[in-house]
Amino acid sequence: MANHSATHPAHVQHHFVDSDQQFESAKMGMWVFLVNEILFFGGLFTAYIVFRAWYPDLFTQAAQELNKLWGGVNTIVLIGSSLTVAMAIRSAQKNQKRGLELNLLFTIILACVFLVIKYFEYEHKLHLGIAPGSFWNPTPEILAELSHPKANIFFSIYYVMTGIHGLHVLVGIGLMIWLYIRARKGHFSSEYYTPVEITGLYWHLVDLIWIFLFPLLYLIE
Amino acid sequence: MSADNHTHHIATAKQLWTVGIALVILTLLTVVVSNLPIPSPLDIIVALSIALVKAFLVAAFFMGLYWDVKFNSMLLIGAVVFFILMVSVTLLDTLYRDDVVPSF
Repeated sequence: MANHSATHPAHVQHHFVDSDQQFESAKMGMWVFLVNEILFFGGLFTAYIVFRAWYPDLFTQAAQELNKLWGGVNTIVLIGSSLTVAMAIRSAQKNQKRGLELNLLFTIILACVFLVIKYFEYEHKLHLGIAPGSFWNPTPEILAELSHPKANIFFSIYYVMTGIHGLHVLVGIGLMIWLYIRARKGHFSSEYYTPVEITGLYWHLVDLIWIFLFPLLYLIE
Repeated sequence: MSADNHTHHIATAKQLWTVGIALVILTLLTVVVSNLPIPSPLDIIVALSIALVKAFLVAAFFMGLYWDVKFNSMLLIGAVVFFILMVSVTLLDTLYRDDVVPSF
């Protein structure tokens, strides 16, 4: 980007007054996107609430098939990754290039751990025929534990909500890899770290959604 | 808009770690509480209250709303208000049906 005036740093685009205004605008834009994300997941949470109100017994029975331990481990993994993202932003603000790279790397690793655990959870369930909607085909052992005629509905909600959340984690990993490459090239400093800040906001929202998914899906008795 | 705000707030490492550890403790707490014989609907209220405290910690400190311009907090609160509206209006229909969706 060409430098339009001697007083403007190279990263400031010509339609912004200064670096601060550009940063604040980008951050507000991200918050508007997060509003959209909250209402997008909100539709799914609404479906959850409606079906739980209709079939309260279904939810308490079907949730027994979810593994509290791995759900809990994944919650702590995501909290850890939120902490490393927050530390990455702090490193960028303090011009610590190595700290920024390491914290982004930790975040990518923790996000991958989350998805690997999720993969094994899905794999285990699908192996037992615990599948969503019309794919519901449980083994006789599962059917003996979970005889509710609407059991497939719970797992439709479970797979769609955790699946779309998992997709967000996958997108987040892609963004973190992009940030890592740019950090290695020395693109970020205390003067300009807008992409780190707003990707961090996105990542924290993914954590926020999981904070609600975990008790609502795994911890009901 | 931010003429008097030339430096961005930098959270200390101690603040961030405190929030992270608090979130882990609250996660363990919500798992422990879920194993106690708390009658419904109190169990849902307790689980959601813990989740809301965790969400507040993430939004205020990890997402930096505590130090940020108020407008961004307003956007988040606005999203929550409209979510509650969506749920309320939907429940006004679904809670008062004689028959849930036929053959569903």
